[in-house]
Amino acid sequence: MTGRAATAARGPVTARERWARVLSVLGSLQGYIGLVLVVVFGIVSKGSTFFNSTNLTNAVGAFASRGILAVGETLVILTAGIDLSVGSMLGLASMVSAILLVYEGLPPILILPITMAVGVLMGLVNGVGTTVLRIQPFVMTLATLSIFRGVDRQLSDNVSVGTQVANTSGQLSPHSSQFQAFGTPGHNFHGVYYPVLALVVVVIVFQLVLSRTRFGRHVYAVGGNETAARLSGVNTLGVKIAVFTIAGLLAGFAGPIDAAYSASADPLAGQSFELDAIAAAVIGGASLAGGRGSVVGSLVGALILTLLDNVLGLNSVSDNLQLIIKGLIVIVAVVIQRPDLISSVAGFFRRSLHRPQPTGGAALGTAGPKEES
Amino acid sequence: MSPTQTAAADGSAAVAREVLSMRGIGKSFPGVRALEAVSLDVRAGQVHALLGENGAGKSTLMNVLSGGFVEYDGEIRIDGVPVAIHHPRDAKSLGIEMIHQELNLVQDLSIADNVFLGRELRTGRGTLDRPSMHARTRELLAGLGLILDPRRLVRRCKLAEQQLIEVAKALSQHVRVLVMDEPTSALADAEVRRLFDVIARLVDGGVAVIYISHRLEEIDKVADVVTVLRDGEQVGTVLQGSTSRSELIAMMVGRPMGELFPRPEHPPSATPCLRVSRLSADGDQAQGRAALHDVDVVVHEGEIVGLAGLMGAGRSELLQAIYGAAGRRVGGQITVGEKAYAPRSPAHGIGRHIAMVAEDRKGQSVVPGNTVRFNASLAALRRFAGWAGVDTKAERVAVGDVVTELRVRTPSLATDITTLSGGSQQKVVLARCLLTKPRVLLMDEPTRGIDVGAKAEIYALISDLAAQGTGILMASSELPELLAMCDRIVVLCEGRVTATLDRDEATQERILEAAMARQVVLDTTTSTESLARLIDSGDR
Repeated sequence: MTGRAATAARGPVTARERWARVLSVLGSLQGYIGLVLVVVFGIVSKGSTFFNSTNLTNAVGAFASRGILAVGETLVILTAGIDLSVGSMLGLASMVSAILLVYEGLPPILILPITMAVGVLMGLVNGVGTTVLRIQPFVMTLATLSIFRGVDRQLSDNVSVGTQVANTSGQLSPHSSQFQAFGTPGHNFHGVYYPVLALVVVVIVFQLVLSRTRFGRHVYAVGGNETAARLSGVNTLGVKIAVFTIAGLLAGFAGPIDAAYSASADPLAGQSFELDAIAAAVIGGASLAGGRGSVVGSLVGALILTLLDNVLGLNSVSDNLQLIIKGLIVIVAVVIQRPDLISSVAGFFRRSLHRPQPTGGAALGTAGPKEES
Repeated sequence: MSPTQTAAADGSAAVAREVLSMRGIGKSFPGVRALEAVSLDVRAGQVHALLGENGAGKSTLMNVLSGGFVEYDGEIRIDGVPVAIHHPRDAKSLGIEMIHQELNLVQDLSIADNVFLGRELRTGRGTLDRPSMHARTRELLAGLGLILDPRRLVRRCKLAEQQLIEVAKALSQHVRVLVMDEPTSALADAEVRRLFDVIARLVDGGVAVIYISHRLEEIDKVADVVTVLRDGEQVGTVLQGSTSRSELIAMMVGRPMGELFPRPEHPPSATPCLRVSRLSADGDQAQGRAALHDVDVVVHEGEIVGLAGLMGAGRSELLQAIYGAAGRRVGGQITVGEKAYAPRSPAHGIGRHIAMVAEDRKGQSVVPGNTVRFNASLAALRRFAGWAGVDTKAERVAVGDVVTELRVRTPSLATDITTLSGGSQQKVVLARCLLTKPRVLLMDEPTRGIDVGAKAEIYALISDLAAQGTGILMASSELPELLAMCDRIVVLCEGRVTATLDRDEATQERILEAAMARQVVLDTTTSTESLARLIDSGDR
């Protein structure tokens, strides 16, 4: 660009910067805006059929196990990793919980710690594979996605295990009835629908971990600039292993919930849940490049997904159309998040409109401004 | 400041026409004016050398020419016709080719595929015309004195060969202006001579060559005209041979430095706080890491020791080895205070009260998208650990104090660090180091890419730290900075200490002389070996 054009372009810079700032604020709020829009759409189209506590609780409860997976997924994504195996880990954990309940007769109070330990073990495998063996997270967790699913199906012999165990009098056994409180609608836990409670607690705990602890800072630092983190004394390997392990732990925690919600552990339970978890994180503002996002954001993303499902269902939109809309939401969310959206679009148009085409010498002579030589 | 002496170049060689004329070129980056009104005239059949210290603006100027920037000030003419260059494509279509210092070859493609990358020859059916590409590549390589199979993977070629493959790639198109950015930094003497033969032949063929280097002995041999840049300004353009080497050095480094370096006289104590003896580490050519051989350095409390040397001399590698960033690959003894210390990791170094300001602020220091507070406290979070996580109140107080002390110009502690100027970002990085309460502060190019005002402030801070008893080991490419700030200067060349100069005996000439004391026994086998080892280990 010539001297004259450059000075001319300097005028509107401040205006453009102001735009960029407005847009970046919008970008950080867009999750909430999207959520508000979905809720408003629900109320306008279906009124109290949509906006009552039973419907909302059911909608969120149906998504709770995936929401919990999204929290672990968010931590992994914050370090610029990805975990494709969360769905398989959830499936295996739910199968383990059902087997322990039905065949071993363990009380749920023991089942939960065991499935969480199983989850930790699986997450550790992912973490060690990506750090010590230096396998890319996508590849490592793609492999374990298959492995954990295979173990799940082998354990169950490809048959789903019902978790509602009746005793001789035809009533649910005490253990089974306690277990059902983990997820069956109507079985509340101290008056609250347990899956919703679990999701909220997990979100609060991990939001605090991210924002208040050294570990949380280190997670953001590793994702934002791994070299800088390492040079600042952060144990980057340890942080990466830890986030994968937490993702496993949360999958182990969500497994029994999913089993109780479906009243059975299906060998295919949790399939493609990883995609919902990733979508929730991304809609909630997480960047797959790492360093950006939050657990609360992912919760909002999860709520958008589930409430949209709910609203579209109430309006009897077909399943196929719902899938299409869900995908479009992801695309729109990611584009809007870009802080330089307007300026880059404007810059592109400015250049392509005003730019002389340097194809040949003769044409250039006329396009370039005349200056004293 | 000084008037440009372009007239000097016009006198004799007026026969050849000007292929390229750059007038009043300027370029700003956020917080820095990188180039100011630089003009350059290059004639066909001429080698025009660009000389200057690191950060003088050579690469910026050439990036303007090769289409690396969308916006810049000034005018470029090719054969007298004004042109607009906003994209590498524009430069290429005008016959401007640039060979970057870091080679731009795809390691896992064959030589021929690299040479024709993006302009592959095709047969009538639309498939790749491999035979023609191979024949043409063989021809081009032969022209450069290389006999290599065009199907060979670039990964399997020696570094010197890769350099020449880059030249072949540039020559495969119609070239009018060829820019070479430090083409010899990875080459041994014999290979340098071969490259110079190639340049001579190109020039005979009417190509204009712009040659960037800070090795004066090479410029003696190869250049016709020399333009010297300093701090983004043009100091002068002279005919090679009309100016002595020392005059060129003076043009490169001479600058008013009176009030820039506030270094009050104070004697450093006799207590050593860092002692490094016989430190050695393996290099890695593929990753551009220099080897270190038996390096001895002592830093006393309150002393500022400078590390001088050319690019690739091992300055950064030495600092990283001491800090622990090189892991356990380091041999030799290090003593911090009284205790022996075998560095394992940066965390280990920080634990021993060593801090480091890394060379590449953007790549190695700043965590983008996070606040000033986040960035400043990152290395010292352990200090603020409370029962419920980080004690943000204590953190805010401590960071606020050091940010005020360093006079970081930021609207608040919650400001995104990437919105600050380069100088302020560097001060935040310094704050991160100071919060760990270091006894030894390692600094790698602490003032690179920041403006003069911020530089002066950072110099003042370094002096204050030394006065408080911190031992400082500072690597820099800017000789005036080292000469003014340091009590002692250690000069490295190819991983060896070639001189240790006290404050009163150090001069720019002596430093440059020691920095260029290259060992003649440079062999190419080491590079092949390390490359082969790399391939065997399957590493990337």
